[in-house]
Amino acid sequence: MRRRKLDLAQVPANVGKGLDDRYKAATPLRGLLNKVFPDHWSFLLGEIALFSFIVLLLTGVFLTLFFDPSMKEVAYDGAYPALRGAEMSQAYASSLDLSFEVRGGLFMRQMHHWAALLFMASIVVHMARVFFTGAFRKPREANWAIGVALFLLGFLAGFTGYSLPDDGLSGTGLRIASAIMLSIPVVGSWVSASIFGGEFPGELIIGRFYIAHVLLIPGGLLALISVHLGLVFAQKHTQWPGPGRTNDNVVGERMFPRYALKQGGFFMAVFGVIALMAGLFQINPIWLFGPYRASEVSSASQPDWYVMFMDGLVRLMPAWQINIPIGDGYVIPPLFWPAVVGLGALTTIPMFYPFIEARRLKDKTSHHLLQRPRDNPERTGLGAMAFTFFIVATLSGGNDVIADKFHISLNAMTWAGRIGLVILPPLAYWLAVRICLGLQQHDREVLAHGVETGIIKRAADGRFYEVHQPLGPVDDHGHPLPLDYAGWVVPKKMNRLGALAPAVKGFFYPVEKPAEAPVSPGMPPVTAREEREEITSGR
Amino acid sequence: MTSDTPAGRRFRVFNRRRSAPSRARRRLGAAARMLAALALAGGVYTAFAPGAFAEDTRQLSASAQEGKALFDNSCITCHGRNAEGVEGRGPSLIGVGSASVEFQVGTGRMPMTRQEAQAEQKPPQFDKAQVKQMGQYIQELGGGPQIPSGDLTTSLEQDPKALAAGGELFRINCTSCHGFGGAGGALSSGKYAPSLHGATTEQIYAAMLTGPQNMPVFGDNELTPDQKREIITYVKMQLQDDKDPGGLFNLGRYGPVTEGLAIFVVGITILVFAALWIAGKS
Amino acid sequence: MTVVKEPHGAHGAGTEPVDVNDPRLSRFDIVREGARRDDIEIVTYESQFQGVNSKAEKRVVRNIAFLFLLSGAAALVFLVFYIVWPWEFKLGVARSDYFTPILGISLGVSLLALGFAILSWAKKLLPHEVSIQDRHNTPSSDEDRLITGQTIAYLGEELGVQRRPLLKGAIGLGLAPLGLVAAAPLIGGLIQNPHKGAEPMMYHTGFDPVPNGGKPVRLTREDGTGIRPEDVSVGGQITVFPGIPHGATNQYADSPTLLIHLRADDAAAARAQSQADPINKNSMWGNYIAYSKICTHAGCPASLYEQQTNRLLCPCHQSQFLITDNARPIFGPASRRLPQLPIEVDDEGFFVAASDYKETIGPDFWERP
Repeated sequence: MRRRKLDLAQVPANVGKGLDDRYKAATPLRGLLNKVFPDHWSFLLGEIALFSFIVLLLTGVFLTLFFDPSMKEVAYDGAYPALRGAEMSQAYASSLDLSFEVRGGLFMRQMHHWAALLFMASIVVHMARVFFTGAFRKPREANWAIGVALFLLGFLAGFTGYSLPDDGLSGTGLRIASAIMLSIPVVGSWVSASIFGGEFPGELIIGRFYIAHVLLIPGGLLALISVHLGLVFAQKHTQWPGPGRTNDNVVGERMFPRYALKQGGFFMAVFGVIALMAGLFQINPIWLFGPYRASEVSSASQPDWYVMFMDGLVRLMPAWQINIPIGDGYVIPPLFWPAVVGLGALTTIPMFYPFIEARRLKDKTSHHLLQRPRDNPERTGLGAMAFTFFIVATLSGGNDVIADKFHISLNAMTWAGRIGLVILPPLAYWLAVRICLGLQQHDREVLAHGVETGIIKRAADGRFYEVHQPLGPVDDHGHPLPLDYAGWVVPKKMNRLGALAPAVKGFFYPVEKPAEAPVSPGMPPVTAREEREEITSGR
Repeated sequence: MTSDTPAGRRFRVFNRRRSAPSRARRRLGAAARMLAALALAGGVYTAFAPGAFAEDTRQLSASAQEGKALFDNSCITCHGRNAEGVEGRGPSLIGVGSASVEFQVGTGRMPMTRQEAQAEQKPPQFDKAQVKQMGQYIQELGGGPQIPSGDLTTSLEQDPKALAAGGELFRINCTSCHGFGGAGGALSSGKYAPSLHGATTEQIYAAMLTGPQNMPVFGDNELTPDQKREIITYVKMQLQDDKDPGGLFNLGRYGPVTEGLAIFVVGITILVFAALWIAGKS
Repeated sequence: MTVVKEPHGAHGAGTEPVDVNDPRLSRFDIVREGARRDDIEIVTYESQFQGVNSKAEKRVVRNIAFLFLLSGAAALVFLVFYIVWPWEFKLGVARSDYFTPILGISLGVSLLALGFAILSWAKKLLPHEVSIQDRHNTPSSDEDRLITGQTIAYLGEELGVQRRPLLKGAIGLGLAPLGLVAAAPLIGGLIQNPHKGAEPMMYHTGFDPVPNGGKPVRLTREDGTGIRPEDVSVGGQITVFPGIPHGATNQYADSPTLLIHLRADDAAAARAQSQADPINKNSMWGNYIAYSKICTHAGCPASLYEQQTNRLLCPCHQSQFLITDNARPIFGPASRRLPQLPIEVDDEGFFVAASDYKETIGPDFWERP
C-alpha cells in the first residue's frame, strides 16, 4: 500500500485539529495566550522566588542521588585528608563524598544552598513590595496569607536542609531545636522525645528530617506555590494607577509573545546568578565543621540568615524564668518566649493583617490598583516598624560576629539589640510617616503650581520668583490650574516635559516616567490608534 | 587579627585605628607611666633594697644581659624591677617562661599602649633577636615553659594521620573560641579570640603552652608536644595554606552571617537591577 | 463566548466584530479579533524600529545573536572543564580548587547570556505593546449565587441528615474512631515517654555510677584515657567524658563536662561559694572544678573558658557563667546555673565522678525538678 504524500505545511493544523477534537483546548488556550499582564519591575520580585524554587528542585534531586540519610557511625576514608579515620555518621560521610568525590557535586551543593538563601531573600523582598503597595487588600487576602505560610514552609525547609549533613554546625542547630521543643510548657519533653525518638540526638532524626526535607515540605511548597500562582492568574495581577488604568481593567502586555518571553529570560538570569554565586563564593564548608559531637562547638555558630531573626530574639531575651510553685514546681524557661511564641506570632499575625486593616478602615471594596507607599503613610509606617524589628533581630542573630569584627563589646551588642528592638521600630514608624507625608506634600505642590524649573526671574517691581512650568491647562494669567491628586507619579523635572532630553537614560528612567505623560485623571484615556496596526509582525 | 582573608585585610583598617593612638598621646601616656613607675620603683626599692641587691647578683648569660637591658627600658614600668610585677599594673613574669615573652612581644601585644580589656596585636616593636634576648632573660630569671627548637609542624609523609588527628584536637579544644575556620570570635565584654590566619607556628605553640590573656593553658600533660604539633599542622595546612575549594572567595569563613550578607548585596541586588531593566521601556 | 457589554463600555467594544473566515483578513486581524473576544483591546502594537530591516534592528539582531553564541561558548567551556579539569580535593593551593569556580563562572555566564539574549529579543525586537483587558471582577450575578446556594442546600437536604437524627449520630460515632485510626499509628508510633524506665534519660548522665556496677565513673579524654590532676595546668581546662563504653560519643550527649584547674586564689573563692551551696558542697577537688559543658539555655557546649575573668561563655546565645560562683549565669538569656559534677581522685590517681550530677543537665523544661 502506498503511503499518502505527507503535506508538511498541513501538519500543525492537523495536529491542532486532532488535539481540539479530543481536549477542546482552543477556546481556553486562546484565553491563556491572550491574558494581559501589567509590567513593572517590582512585579518581578516574586518570580525570583519561583525561579530559585525551580533551581532548588533541580539541584536537590541531584543531591538525593548521592546523599545517604543514615546516622550509622562509619570511619571516613575519602578524598579529604583532614578527616580521614574520623568516626562520623554515614550522612556526614556521604555529604563529604558528595562534595569531594562526585564530579561537580560541590558545585551542585553550593548552588542548592545559594538558591535556598535567594529563595528566602526574594520571598521577603516580594512580601515587602506586596505590603507597601497594598496589594494584599481585598480580594487578595488569602493569597497574602498563603505567601506568609510559604515563608514559614521555606523556613522549615531551610532548617531541615541545614541539619541534614550532620556536621558540627547542623548538629548544634539540632540541639538548639531540641531545646526549643523542650521549652514548651507541659508537653516539651514529650515533644522532643517523640521527634528525636528518645533522648537527643538519637539515631532517627536525620532520616526523619530527610523525608520532611525532600518530600513533605517541598510537597507543601509546591501545592501552596501552585495555589498562589493560580490565584494571581485567576484574580489578575494588580497594577499601578496611571493613565487609562482603572480598577476594572488591566493595562499591559499580553502573555504571548512578549511577557512570557521576558519571564523565560528572567528565569535564565536568576539561574545564572545562582550559578555564578555558587562558583564564586564558598558556602557552608562542612568539611571544616567536622562531624557533630555534642561536646564541640564553634564561635560564631549561626543559623542561615532567615532563621537568624529568631536566633537574635533568643539572644536578646533577658533571663526571665517563670517558676510555678505547684507540687514539685514547674518552670517556663526564657527560651520559650522568643523561640516558640515569637516565631509563632511573627509568622501568623501578619497573615491577618489584611483583615485588620480592612476592618480599621471599614473598607469592604475590592482593590486592583496599587497604592504608592507614600499614599498610605500609616501602613508604610507599620511596615517600616515591622521590618526594623526584623532587621534588628536578624542583626542580633549575628551580633557576635559583628562584635568581633568591628571591635565592639559583645555585651554592649546584646544591650544595643535589646534597646534597639524596643526603641527603633517606633522611631522607624514616625520617620516613615513623616517622609510619606513630605513626599505627598511635594507631589501636591507640583500639581498645584507646576514643575520647578530652577529659572529665577526678577519682576518689574524688583521681586524675585521662580518660574514654574505648568503641568496642565493654565488660567488667563498663565498660572497653572490646580490638578487633582491621583496617587501616581508626578513629573518633578522640567526636562521630562520635553524642554530637554532626559538627563539620565537607563533603567531608572522609566520608573518615574508616566506611561503617556498626562497625570490628571481628567485627561482623556489613551485611545486606539488605528494607523499603528499596519506595522505588525504578521504578514 | 592579621587575617589574610580579604575580609581580614579590610578589617585591619579598624585594627590600625584602634591599636595606634596618636604619637603625642602615646608619649604622654608613656611619660605619665614612667613618672608613676619611678615614684613606685623608688618606694619599692627603699622597702626591699637588700632583696633587690641579691637578685642583681644573679649570673646572666650574655644574651640575657641584652634582654635585661631591653626589659629595663620598655617593660619595667608595668612588670617591675626584675619582672616581679607591679600591683594593679602588670603581673609578675617570674615563671612565665620564654614562650610567653616570645608570644606577647613577638606578636606586638606587649608592650601595651594602654590598659584595656585585652592586649591588641600590633606590629611588634622588637625584632626577632631582641625578642629572643628578652625571652632568655625571663627564662633565666624564673624558668617556665619554653618553645622547643626544631620544626613545630608534623610532616605528613612521616605521619599521614597527623592532619586528621590535629583537626580532631583542634575541634575539641580550639574551635569554641577561634571558630571552625580559625577566623576568631568574640568573648565577653570586648575580649575576643584572635584570628589564626596570620599566626606563625611559634606563636600558636607559645599560645597553647602559656595561655596568654584569657586563653586557657594547654600544658604538655594535657596536649603533648606531639599533639600540639598536630594541631599546628592542621591550622597551618588546612586553615592557612589550603585554598578553599568552594569558590574564589571564602567570605572570611565567618559562616552564615557573611553568606546572608552576600545573598542580599550580590544576589538580590543584581536581580533587582535586572528586573528594573526588564520592565523598563526601551 | 458572548461579550457582555458593561455600562462604562467594555474595551473590546472599541472595534466591531469581524468574520474570521474572511480571506482578506491578515493574520494579525484574526489575532486582534481573538483578543477582542477575550475583552482585550490592543491599544498600541508598533515595531520599535523605523521600517523593515533598519540599521538599528540589524544591530540589535547582531547583539542577540552574539549573546546566544556566547551562551553556547560558555556552556562548551563548562563541558570541557568539567571533563578535563582535576576535581578531587587536594591539600594546599591545587588546580582542583578552581574546579567549582570555573564551573560556576562558565555556567553563570552561559545562563546569563542566554537570559539576556531572550530578554533582549522580547524587549528590543518584539513590537511595543499596550493592551487593555477587562478585569471582569464583578462577582457572579445574584441569580447565579442563588442557584448555586440552593444547589448546595439541596444536596444537604437530599441526604436528609437533619431529618434522620439516627444517621447523624451514627456518622459521628462511626467516622470519629476511623479518623483516630488514621492518626493513631502516626502519633502512637512517634510518641516517646521521656520519663520511662528506672533511670529516666533526662535526669541521668554517663557519670551515673549505677549502670557502671556501682563503681565511680572515671573522667576521660575523648580517646578514653584517664586524667590525673597534673594533666591539667593551672589556668587550663579540658573536656572530659564518662569513662564508660561509648562515653565520648553522641550516645551520651548530655555528659561532656569541662574540668577546670583554677588558680589558687580563684579556687579559694570558688570553694567558698561552692561550700556555701547545699547542692554543690564538697564537689570540688583541690583547685579543680568540673561543670557540665551543656548550656542550661539551649544545649550548646558552653565552653569558651576565659581563664582570667573566670567566665564561661556559650557561643550560641552568649550566656555567660561565673565559674567562681557556682557557674551562676551573669549575662545573656540563660536563667539557670551550670550543674557541677562532684569529683575526686581514685586510688590510682585518676579523676572520678563522686556521683552523678545532682542537678538536671542541659536545657530547661517544664517538669524539671
